[in-house]
Amino acid sequence: MLASLRDVTAGAGTAALVDADGAFDPASAVRAGVVLSRLLWVRCGGRRKAALAATDLLARCPGFALVVLDAGETPPRVTLGTAFRLRQAARRAGVAVLLVGRRRVAGAGATLAVRTWRDALAWAGSRRAPTRLAGMSTRVQVLRNQGASRPSSAVAEMLDEPQWWTA
Amino acid sequence: MTAVACVWVEAFAAAAAERAEPALRAHPLAIVTGTAPTTHVVEANTAAREQGVRPGIPEAEAVARCPDLIRRPASAACVDAARRALLDACYGVSPRLEDVAAGLVHVDLAGLGRLGDGAAIAQRLQRAARAVGLPARVGVAGTRPAARIAARAGLGVVAAGGEARALAPVSVSTLEWSEEIVAALARWGVATLGELAALPRPGLAARLGASGLAAHDLARGVDDPTPWRPWAPPPFWEEAQELDWEIQELAPLMSVLGRVVERLTARLSAAYLVADALELRLALAGGGHHARTLALACPMGAPRPLLTLLEHDLGARPPQGPVTAVAVQASAIPRRAVTGTLGRAAPPAERDLATVLARLVTLVGPDAVGAVALADSHRPDAFVAARLEPEAAPVMPDVAGDSVLALRRLRPPRRVSVAIDEERRPVIVGGALAREARVVGCAGPWRVSGEWWDAGAWARDEWDVALSDGAVCRLARDLRDDVWYLDGVYD
Repeated sequence: MLASLRDVTAGAGTAALVDADGAFDPASAVRAGVVLSRLLWVRCGGRRKAALAATDLLARCPGFALVVLDAGETPPRVTLGTAFRLRQAARRAGVAVLLVGRRRVAGAGATLAVRTWRDALAWAGSRRAPTRLAGMSTRVQVLRNQGASRPSSAVAEMLDEPQWWTA
Repeated sequence: MTAVACVWVEAFAAAAAERAEPALRAHPLAIVTGTAPTTHVVEANTAAREQGVRPGIPEAEAVARCPDLIRRPASAACVDAARRALLDACYGVSPRLEDVAAGLVHVDLAGLGRLGDGAAIAQRLQRAARAVGLPARVGVAGTRPAARIAARAGLGVVAAGGEARALAPVSVSTLEWSEEIVAALARWGVATLGELAALPRPGLAARLGASGLAAHDLARGVDDPTPWRPWAPPPFWEEAQELDWEIQELAPLMSVLGRVVERLTARLSAAYLVADALELRLALAGGGHHARTLALACPMGAPRPLLTLLEHDLGARPPQGPVTAVAVQASAIPRRAVTGTLGRAAPPAERDLATVLARLVTLVGPDAVGAVALADSHRPDAFVAARLEPEAAPVMPDVAGDSVLALRRLRPPRRVSVAIDEERRPVIVGGALAREARVVGCAGPWRVSGEWWDAGAWARDEWDVALSDGAVCRLARDLRDDVWYLDGVYD
């Protein structure tokens, strides 16, 4: 999520983050390279319906390059009809919509669905008494990729290898 | 030689009323004051003057002379707003102004050579005044009195050094004199400024004193001895309107606010500014006030988005009584010129963004929408509200940033119970994500503290822990009260 926000805001675009739980950490985002002045942060305070409505509003506003809904631990229930309407609205406005959650949210309404899971942890400091979490590796699985028949070799290689994230 | 322009609006109170109600321009209009039945005319527009309506005559006589006459009570707020509007308009042309009186502004043309000659600058000033709804006449001369007379007499540009010659044919009735001077000039048969300038100064001084000498100087176009009093724009720009009737419904109130906001944005536009924040003040019939402050998510100059924001805000928090006067104040900042490039996506249009933001504010609250910036502090999770800048130039941050681990924060941090071993390292965490979880990996403590010199002192030990339920968390022990908190979960 942070990488996609960084790519949009550091380049030229404006992004919006609908944060269902208010879990976004600006410090992590800045370390990742996100330009905060180009990011509209909408904090929904745990209200899932409001988060979905806010995402719908933003997805209809042309000019946002990316709208992220961070649905958190308990993603809202999105019907297939709602998901397809959201997709149509985003397509018309030229906005990319990214839904992040503990489980799949948009179902068949998503163009691309990706699952990530943790593979390993790395600690910094002495082996016996580490002082800080150094990083974490994750693996990625593409669950749905509508439109592309087969991932390119570079993407396939990336999917095979664990991805390291530094703390 | 320096040149001065004088921007003058005839019958300013009437022009100010026409600015507030543009439909009045098509009718004879008189501004009246006083208590009935002794109300009298203060000023009248051109159409009314053509039918014999003059300042000072009783209202009843004015109506008798001009049956179609529309009357409006004199409004200080309306005149003040128009006066400010004229100054704002001139400020868009030259930064050096002198606010002489309501509807009378001196503009220093020094350094404006790149805008053209005096005639071009006069046209520019006229256009700027017209843009804020005021029909102004402009005179340009080498001295302030000559520029004033040129504006009133419609002379246009008077060549510097040739003021006396240019002003000579102007009738003395063009200017406003004291009764003593008017009587003396009539007695002497002086009809033009040239004839007045030809009178001997010692004789004028002997007969009329200082006022006679001042009139003589004026007729010759000699500059005032008073120094230039520069006008500086205040940090807030306000537009107000008093209502002749009380308004209770939102729709008619928005109609009035629409005109007020349009006038305000026209003034801002004339000065190459945009609104950074908006303050709405409504005077209520009971004597109270309804005040709202709208922090704009991005600077705006178009009236429609501002009006949409005001409408949403008033819809959510309506005034507690009938409205008798409205005032909108804008905090202004310079407009930023944006040029799109081929490789750059267009930012959200101001109007679209304003509408979406207004709806989001209604949905989740005003404090939950906007951009943020990191605060200048080492305190964990320290950030401040900031302005969303969709039109800012792209910047490539100087961080690798490609694969940084994100922390999902819990706000506020959740209090947890932690069992520690003999080395004071956490071994069991209760009340985190699961009911109780064993610590399978642990790093720390990472001691941080700050603001020990202040009342908001803080100090804590941070631990990164991997739990048996699969979560990787950041725990923090507050060193002041020895309480453990779950700060966030690594994503």
